[in-house]
Amino acid sequence: MASRSKLSQTQAAWLLLAPFLATYTLFLIYPFFRGVWISLYDWNLLAVAFNPDAKEFVGMRNYERVMWGKDITWSVLNAPVLQTLGLIGVVLSIILSRMGRLSRFNAIALGIGSVLLVILPGFHPAEGGRWYDRRFWPTVGNTLVFVGFTVPGVTISALVLAAALNRETRAMSILRTLFFLSQVLSVTVVTLIWQIMFSPRQGLIANITETFGGTPINWLTDQQFAMAAIVIATVWWSLGIAMILFLAGLQDISKDIYEAAALDNAKGARAFWYITLPNLTRTISVVVILQIILHFQVFGQPHLMTRGGPNDTTQVLVRYIYQTGFRDSELGRASAMAVFLFLIMGSFSIIQFVIGREKD
Amino acid sequence: MNRSYYWLVLGLSVPAFLWLVPTLWMVSLSFQPNEVLARTTSSTFFGLIPIPFTADNYAALFSFGQTPWWFMNSIIVAVGMTLGVLFVSTTAGYVLARLEFPFKRTIMVICLIGLMVPEQAVFIPLYTMFADFGWHNSYHALILPRMAVPIGVFLMMQFFKAIPKDIEEAARLDDVGWLQIFWYVMLPLARPAMMTLAILTFLYAWNDYLWPLVSAQQREFFTITLGLASIQSNFAQSEGLGRVMASGVIASLPVVILFLIFQRYVVQAMTAGGSKG
Repeated sequence: MASRSKLSQTQAAWLLLAPFLATYTLFLIYPFFRGVWISLYDWNLLAVAFNPDAKEFVGMRNYERVMWGKDITWSVLNAPVLQTLGLIGVVLSIILSRMGRLSRFNAIALGIGSVLLVILPGFHPAEGGRWYDRRFWPTVGNTLVFVGFTVPGVTISALVLAAALNRETRAMSILRTLFFLSQVLSVTVVTLIWQIMFSPRQGLIANITETFGGTPINWLTDQQFAMAAIVIATVWWSLGIAMILFLAGLQDISKDIYEAAALDNAKGARAFWYITLPNLTRTISVVVILQIILHFQVFGQPHLMTRGGPNDTTQVLVRYIYQTGFRDSELGRASAMAVFLFLIMGSFSIIQFVIGREKD
Repeated sequence: MNRSYYWLVLGLSVPAFLWLVPTLWMVSLSFQPNEVLARTTSSTFFGLIPIPFTADNYAALFSFGQTPWWFMNSIIVAVGMTLGVLFVSTTAGYVLARLEFPFKRTIMVICLIGLMVPEQAVFIPLYTMFADFGWHNSYHALILPRMAVPIGVFLMMQFFKAIPKDIEEAARLDDVGWLQIFWYVMLPLARPAMMTLAILTFLYAWNDYLWPLVSAQQREFFTITLGLASIQSNFAQSEGLGRVMASGVIASLPVVILFLIFQRYVVQAMTAGGSKG
């Protein structure tokens, strides 16, 4: 062996790192910066494909055309409900951090979020003004509504199920498998199933409603129900991973606490409320942030089930990026939106990262 | 086991059954004749039991239509991506966990930042890049961009860190090179972690939708996930509901079987991937 020439530790390290560094730089780092670069150009997909010089540098114009408008003003009373919520958040973050009920990081995160909630909904076009892109902010709003219903829906049902299923018996493990099974299906299978489930003519839901003498709902084409239908399908699909994470978190809670509590007659729902929940706060925040990141990027469900309709009520951000880029061929504007998406996702990733480190 | 336990199991069976109903319905519809489905989808017990029964939908799938072809594409892409991710992640994970070299910290930080970039934020520039290379509509276009997953590196790194140092040091004393240690000592130890990562990657590759949608425009390069999306919009008219449902069942079989066999690894993978990345 000794006669063979050997690599030094540094040489071996770089040699073994090379495949990762190459793919990582080429397919993640470089595309990311290229995306930022494209967003600074008026870049038509088809025109540039035929003639690489057919793009024009426009600086921040794409961002302006997507997010801003003519004669935009700001007022407190534009969205009173949201802004009041924001104000409450600001006050809460100050009071709770003073009382020592919140860690400094959580207080800052809540504070920044609340301030944004006061400021951002206040912008609106003055009389005679208009948004340059009428669809962008409503699309962001739809995405938030989707996240706002899906994340609590998944989190609460997964938490209750995990608490109930947290026993090492054969029956419980079969039940866990049943709840988890839909998680491994692809988005196109999920939408295939639910498109037909929701169909007013052929759907299972309609069939059952009719048997009991009701009138079937046009789930996917009715403005009131389309988003609800997508949320239902998504909760059904993605409950599994949240449940698994909660089960893992529950394993870390010592059995002794429950036994001690049982002596004080705290069982079932009371034990859940006074022992399980407080001991699970970190897992809950991890699951919530993970879900926000995951569902903010929703694309397949509205793309396949409702095509963003009816009347744009289920149009979401990633689908709008996809359409702007590949149907309207406006890669510059689509990239500006993608950078916006990255900034939101990035801030949630930072929160997730900090929470993840708190444990260590 | 007391009485309240049996009540709990019984009580949970109801939502568990409801949870299974949509999937069950898809399977049941796929075994019913198209002519019947055109009239009604609730023949027997709301259509949840496949009576009248037929296997024609599956026979039709394999005699004409592109489903078997798309299925093969999915296998090629998913296996290719899995092997690629395993290779890239084990090598880099080992180096970052066990070797010392200049700029190690810098690389770790860059990796962490990479975890924050969602694929939806880079699919446009990736599209233009692959268009410049003339790579679209090929297997490598479907596989390559998905090999750059920092999460895989982190999973492997965590695992290698947990292996006791003495094993390596004994080998070093015998004057064994670093590459040999990696290949003959570390990799065999890493099999469970590699299994976990492989299953996670396979599931991800099989179910990936956005990138194949953008990159594969010719039907010959559709994966089954993408192909299923292309036929579901007009299922009632052209293909027949039963046949589309049969395609859905075929598209789900590999991942469901994989999940049922390797459930333990899937759960581990999701737990590790979920809380770390």
